[in-house]
Amino acid sequence: MSTSDAPDDHAHAAPAGGRIARLGAAALGAARATAELWRVYVGTIAGIVRMLRGRRGRIVSRSAGRGELWRQLHAIGNRSVVFVAVTLGFIGMVMTYQACLQLGRVTGDYSQIGSQFLRLTVSDFGPTLTGLMLATRVGAGIAAEIGSMKVTEQIDALRMSGVLPIDHLIVPRFLASLVMTLMLSTLGAAIMYAAGGLTAQASFGVNPHTFFDLSLLRGRHVAMFVVKAAVFGAAIPVVAGFCGLRARGSSEGVGRATTAAVIGGSFAVIVLDFAISATALFVTGGDL
Amino acid sequence: MSAAATPPPGAYVEWRGVHTAFGGPPVLRGLDLAVARGEVMFIIGASGAGKSVTIKHLVGLLPIDAGEIWFAGARIDQLPERAFAPLRKRIGMVFQSATLFDSMTLAENVALPLRKHGGLGHRAALEDARGRLAQVGMAEHADRYPAELSDGMRKRAAIARTLALSPEVVLFDEPTTGLDPISARRIDRLVRELAERLGVTAIVVSHDLPSIFGVADRVAFLYQGVAHAVATPAALRASPDPVVQQFVTGRSSGPMETPGF
Amino acid sequence: MIGDRLLAGLGASAVRIAQQVGGVLVLAGEVGRALVPPRVDRRELLRHLYRMGNRSVPIVVLTALFAGGLMTLQAGPFVKKFSAAGLAGWGAGYAVLREIGPILIALMFSGRVGANNTAELATMTVTEQLDGLRALAIDPVRFLVVPRVLAMIVMLVALTAIGDLVALTGAAIVGRAMLGIDWGTMFHSFADNLKPYDFLHGIYKSIAFGAAVAMTSCYFGVTVRGGAVGVGRAVNAAVVAAAVSIMLLDFFLTYLIG
Repeated sequence: MSTSDAPDDHAHAAPAGGRIARLGAAALGAARATAELWRVYVGTIAGIVRMLRGRRGRIVSRSAGRGELWRQLHAIGNRSVVFVAVTLGFIGMVMTYQACLQLGRVTGDYSQIGSQFLRLTVSDFGPTLTGLMLATRVGAGIAAEIGSMKVTEQIDALRMSGVLPIDHLIVPRFLASLVMTLMLSTLGAAIMYAAGGLTAQASFGVNPHTFFDLSLLRGRHVAMFVVKAAVFGAAIPVVAGFCGLRARGSSEGVGRATTAAVIGGSFAVIVLDFAISATALFVTGGDL
Repeated sequence: MSAAATPPPGAYVEWRGVHTAFGGPPVLRGLDLAVARGEVMFIIGASGAGKSVTIKHLVGLLPIDAGEIWFAGARIDQLPERAFAPLRKRIGMVFQSATLFDSMTLAENVALPLRKHGGLGHRAALEDARGRLAQVGMAEHADRYPAELSDGMRKRAAIARTLALSPEVVLFDEPTTGLDPISARRIDRLVRELAERLGVTAIVVSHDLPSIFGVADRVAFLYQGVAHAVATPAALRASPDPVVQQFVTGRSSGPMETPGF
Repeated sequence: MIGDRLLAGLGASAVRIAQQVGGVLVLAGEVGRALVPPRVDRRELLRHLYRMGNRSVPIVVLTALFAGGLMTLQAGPFVKKFSAAGLAGWGAGYAVLREIGPILIALMFSGRVGANNTAELATMTVTEQLDGLRALAIDPVRFLVVPRVLAMIVMLVALTAIGDLVALTGAAIVGRAMLGIDWGTMFHSFADNLKPYDFLHGIYKSIAFGAAVAMTSCYFGVTVRGGAVGVGRAVNAAVVAAAVSIMLLDFFLTYLIG
């Protein structure tokens, strides 16, 4: 509500100083955002520690906290199962098809395709594609929820009743996402592999016995799987919660927060995937 | 019931026995209302009485369940969405939230209907738009964006945009709600000017008492889904009907049933 | 019983999904009809092309770099095993051009531009601007939706083309930096083994992906209900629908256009 005809104070201040100043401002903004993101992450870990130690003196009781955790597990897990299964299934089929097509062109030898595909699925595509899908579904959901709470001032109301938003909102989602991403990645990888086998059999006549060959699978592949799924599961809710808590303005703010969460989460998954894979490459001396 | 003042002959806009319910409790239960050409008719009533719904029926933004709606001697309630296009150039509407397009400056906003329907090119439309903004006293803000302006200024710009196609009827959905008194009186003057200088028929939904008594030719009081009373402002104020009296004097207690409280 | 509830839940979801798919197709039909004869608001079209491009080029370039690099990393073991550095470009390039490139870029586009578009349209709907357009006898589909759909399709195709090239560059960089494959070998590997149709295969897909992202994005934007909360939900629904559509389309197109 305005009290006179004086214009609102939403002046769109144009950045002075031209390109370099704008770039500098952007870099500063990015640095600040990264620092804040890190703070949210640290705050989440601290919140978990607090929860595990069973600290008292908070209005939200432990049982309520646990109830929230179950709710989040359900929200994230239950509702994403079909989504992950369908998307990873289709992608598995397509990738196998393309790979067989290519192999057919060059060597015509399909004996290795199953074991190689398994290796790829477990160490890379399984967790990464699941992570991307979850960054979209879960990230958007978390940011939308927390974002609308922020613009309708419910976050402030939480603070006024002595509850830390991070403890109450982000920690349960963090834990739920961690658990669920691991489980969903496993499911996704399994479905992807199975779908690949089906395609190889149906379109190229590859014997399932030949395809479902676990001989190349090593402990380090499984380790990479677990590490990636866990890291993605941790990153997505932190990024999404961060974007949600930063929402400002009404509908546009929520829209912006949700968009930022999807992009930030997806990008984080890709970059982290690359980083972990590259590290693994160095550690094992070039033998993935 | 207070005596309804007889409308001048040849009603220009008319609701006959209109019933509307949105799948729930009925909002309008047989509304009968006639508006003469060139008059300023205020539709008043408590929140939820169906005032906004009533005028949205006129431009086909909401469908009716039963009854008839007439404009300039033709029935318009059964037209499909497409057929409403020519109608909407003759009946303009200023929304409650001004609904200027955020991505355009004020001038571009006003120029939009001129470009689309007035056959003007981009530059010519902008020129015309500036002129119209000047008419509502907003010339110096023509190149600013709606988000930068106060509610009163946005309302005036929205009025300028609605007038761009020179409609014969203009509907106002709570034009002064939420404005400071000075801006509100400015809007009132604008509405009066429209009727007197341009011969526009103005139908205003409002519960702003100073507007009602300062601007209206006639007032229709909506209560329980019908036009409970239709009279000149003076006659309404002098009405012996207790429900009318309660609304007009703004008392919170009385015989009037307010849904939802 | 849990079984009953599960079934009921699945049934309700199926109905809802069917409704949404139907709604998207209806909107697509309206867009198609508005394009015959092609009368688009040119200013809006150009404005959207500019904004969407501006917004998405940086993220697509970055993503493509990483994706290309990733493919090379995965091709690493093959290279080691067969000591065939010349195959690295082939392995990475083929995957990038046909699958990883179009899909990842489409997903990123959906997240960046699609979500933003949904948020904008949803906000406009919630603040009655859509009704405002109708009251001015301007068809919201023709004025708002069609320019955005066209802009998004054109943009995604362009971005996929650019992204493919950037991804190949990323693949080469990682090949050089981490697998010790020099530029020349990589380049020859690309040139010898990758055919123009591999590139086109991806581009054709990007047209379909663009349409999918555009239609879902606009649909969920204009059918939003409720205020700020509704906007968040609309964006959520839009990106999920786009992701599923991309995967499904990829599946069908891979077989169809081989």
